[in-house]
Amino acid sequence: MRPPQSVRDLTMGLRFAVTGGREGWVRLLLTALGVGLGVALLLLTTALPHALEVRHDREQSRSDFTYDYKPVAPADDTLVIADVDTTYRGKDVRGRVVMPEGERAPLPPGVAAFPAAGDMVVSPALKELLDSPGGALLRDRLPYRITGTITESGLIGSRELAYYAGSDALADRVNPPYVARITRFGTPNPTKESTDPVLLLLVLVVFVVLLMPVAVFIAAAVRFGGERRDRRLAALRLVGSDSRMTRRIAAGEALAGALLGLVFGTGFFLLGRQVAGSVEVLGVSVFPSYLDPTPALAALVAVAVPAAAVLVTLLALRGVVIEPLGVMRTARPSRRRLWWRLLLPLAGLAMLYPMIGQGHDGGGFNEYLVVGGVMLLLIGVTALLPWVVESVVGRLGPGGVAWQLAVRRLQLSSGTAARMVNGIAVAVAGAIALQMLFAGVQGDYTKTTGYDLTRAQMRVSVPTGTSVDRATAKVRATAGVGRAVGLADGYAGDTRRDPEHGTEVTLGSCAALREVAVLPSCHDGDSFALLGSPGDTDTPKLVRAGRTVYLDPSYQGEARNLEIALTVPHGVRQARTRHDLTGTERAGLLLTPGALPANAAPAFQGVVYVVLDRTVTDAAEHVRNTAAAMDPLASVDTFAATESSKKFTSIRTGLFVGAACVLALIGASLLVSQLEQLRERRKLLSSLVAFGTRRRTLSLSVLWQTAIPIALGLLLASVVGVTLGAVLLRMSAATVRVDWASVLAMTGIGAGVVLAVTLLSLPPLLRLMRPEGLRTE
Amino acid sequence: MTTTSAPPGSLLAAQDLRKAYGPTTALDGADFSIHPGEVVAVMGPSGSGKSTLLHCLAGIVPPDSGSIRYDGRELAGMSDAGRSALRRSEFGFVFQFGQLVPELTCVENVALPLRLNGAPRKEAERTALGWMERLEVDDLRAKRPGEVSGGQGQRVAVARSLVTSPRVVFADEPTGALDSLNGERVMELLTEAARSANAAVVLVTHEARVAAYSDREIVVRDGRSRDMERLV
Repeated sequence: MRPPQSVRDLTMGLRFAVTGGREGWVRLLLTALGVGLGVALLLLTTALPHALEVRHDREQSRSDFTYDYKPVAPADDTLVIADVDTTYRGKDVRGRVVMPEGERAPLPPGVAAFPAAGDMVVSPALKELLDSPGGALLRDRLPYRITGTITESGLIGSRELAYYAGSDALADRVNPPYVARITRFGTPNPTKESTDPVLLLLVLVVFVVLLMPVAVFIAAAVRFGGERRDRRLAALRLVGSDSRMTRRIAAGEALAGALLGLVFGTGFFLLGRQVAGSVEVLGVSVFPSYLDPTPALAALVAVAVPAAAVLVTLLALRGVVIEPLGVMRTARPSRRRLWWRLLLPLAGLAMLYPMIGQGHDGGGFNEYLVVGGVMLLLIGVTALLPWVVESVVGRLGPGGVAWQLAVRRLQLSSGTAARMVNGIAVAVAGAIALQMLFAGVQGDYTKTTGYDLTRAQMRVSVPTGTSVDRATAKVRATAGVGRAVGLADGYAGDTRRDPEHGTEVTLGSCAALREVAVLPSCHDGDSFALLGSPGDTDTPKLVRAGRTVYLDPSYQGEARNLEIALTVPHGVRQARTRHDLTGTERAGLLLTPGALPANAAPAFQGVVYVVLDRTVTDAAEHVRNTAAAMDPLASVDTFAATESSKKFTSIRTGLFVGAACVLALIGASLLVSQLEQLRERRKLLSSLVAFGTRRRTLSLSVLWQTAIPIALGLLLASVVGVTLGAVLLRMSAATVRVDWASVLAMTGIGAGVVLAVTLLSLPPLLRLMRPEGLRTE
Repeated sequence: MTTTSAPPGSLLAAQDLRKAYGPTTALDGADFSIHPGEVVAVMGPSGSGKSTLLHCLAGIVPPDSGSIRYDGRELAGMSDAGRSALRRSEFGFVFQFGQLVPELTCVENVALPLRLNGAPRKEAERTALGWMERLEVDDLRAKRPGEVSGGQGQRVAVARSLVTSPRVVFADEPTGALDSLNGERVMELLTEAARSANAAVVLVTHEARVAAYSDREIVVRDGRSRDMERLV
């Protein structure tokens, strides 16, 4: 049985695509390359939900301390584990010191056997770092012998830095949550990751904003080489194919490109999947096994991309009249109508309108309305841009020769120009909206820590058994430390056990105490009452001369603490509170060392505050090394002026990574279509040079040709982006404020991509202008 | 490169030109000369080197060796910018397919060489329109090349080649894409206009009918040229 005519036409198109000689293959490869890049990005997107899920599951399965922690007695199935996370040159290092207390002690995921005391098992990335010259400082901090590797199941990313070190001296240091005794790893009740409505809104919009330009890019890629194809179709008309047949043949050709693109895309994805295992972007790495596309979504990509390719080709051929004899006259396109183009963004706004203010009460957003509304608004950019470009360039007058050549070309084919910049415009509009949304809700997810970084940038906890003075002296002697202030903090209650009232006790030299209070005068042996802290009613009751208070009191149901009696000295004087080194106002009793009973020192936890000398390289690393040398369990904090929600930061990071990929993709597409257009005009360019046209004039005309539509595109993108941003902010119940810095930055990046593309296309342009282009033989 | 004196009175003369594209020899010791106002047809079969000779004479392509003298100046000694300036001001060009800029109107196409020479737009277009009238295509002024026929487009191209009042017009198969009627009309107009402007015309063709419009014929075969008039 013969297949129907339409199938035969499509098949003929498929055959033409692969039998067009070198030119045909180049066109097919370019299309497949473009579609392939888009498909790879789409597949990556479909794999992201799985990747996030696996990371979350792995994180939960290795969790060793939970907030429902209950004290456990040592047994043969218990493990004492200490959290010794550290940071090395801005990278997080997950560290645990472990001591199994019996045969059945739980092994951490990914670890084959417990490391002996003084040994450690490490992640592959940490081993690599420690073996490299760049890891020398970290090696000093982790002086354990490497005896094994943590396998994939114990890590959340291929580049994660992690280790488990063995110890035999943890049993008496149990101090949850830093040191805990556990019987199992993993959260007893695993949870699914839940996201608050505004973060969900951000995630949805990030996805739409990143995927829309990819769709636009694929649409552009299937039209690569369109002019040459149209000439071939004209030849087909000559030998008797009617216009419907030619359209179907063209669709078949596009289908070939899209199908090969699917193959390429799968290849790129698989290749990228392997590469992804060895790279880290903004602190996030994954294992190749994480990147498994969701089957349903992958199938959707496999069907939607070829279908879209055919559809785009048919739409593109709508305004073209292909006649036989190779004479192809483009019917003067009817003037573009504005009304239906405006309907798209208006419909988008209408879909988003009902959700305005819903971020207030934590109420959920309708995901379909959000995605639909944002998509329609962004598609509105692609619909409006051809109209804007046509209307504006139609009004541009002739200027210099370069300008005239560019303007006239834009007037003749404004659609092509608009198509070229559509992807950038959509990406920029989306990015502006998102940046506005991020800036608007940032306050809710980022809080000021109150730390005064001019007074202290790091805090080192002094290990038990080490005097504050000695620790302070060691820190002070460390390379890169400008200043170190040692203080010790304790807590005193009104009774030995279960105190009803309590207050802070701060121990330090006069100089150190002056960092937390304004003292009238001070000598060793003095003590001070620090009153006046808002809401503190206990201190005036407890810090009275002659009153006995109890340092480190005990509480019911917990192990007995030190319960050291302390009589408030008779000479206690009043001091005035001031912001301390962490920016808070203290209250309670201040003691100089001479005022402390001889046996009371263990009731205090020493802390050294550090001001770094930023001129010294790796100053912070040296401090961390000093702390680790004093005690591997010593904790070191680095102060920052602000603190962001982890999820908020990772969504923002995701946007930057995605936006970078998308812009690179669009840049590549722009370059390919630019080069293709130049190749089509090779002969004309050569003849223009033949009669003396300066190369500079032609280069400038190419620049104008790109710059005019991109300027219009970026203007439109700014308007739509700001509108969408304002709507999203209203939806999140945040104050609407135009973040001009974001608008400028995003349009600047968009313009930068175009400039880069123009510069990259100049060398081929100069080559095409050579007189060889005039040769026909 | 050989430097020999040009024939007396010649405007453009070439001697012992050699040019190869990779392993293919396009010119192998070709000679040429043309006097002011003279129309010289360069004939020969496809691939004989006629177009390469024209490109070398016009300073578009530098020869590998040999001498080209224009108005007493050696072209080989000139920079690319100098040769470009020469082409803009002293030479005119007509190609087989017109090579009009598709997005410019016909009058803008004709005015283009003047504008490249720095002439103001209005003045350039006024002069262009004058030439279009002489070539009987002034009614096409506002049309784009895609909207006119092949013969009309070629006449617009001829107008463009003459608009700067060049001293030499290079025409590479100017009627190659036209039917005989249109071809003859284009040739009549081209030679008439050139003669009235005292411009020399280097006419590359393989059609004897077209070559008949010339004062003299040169045959190029295997990269070598022979002056037919001298042979006769």
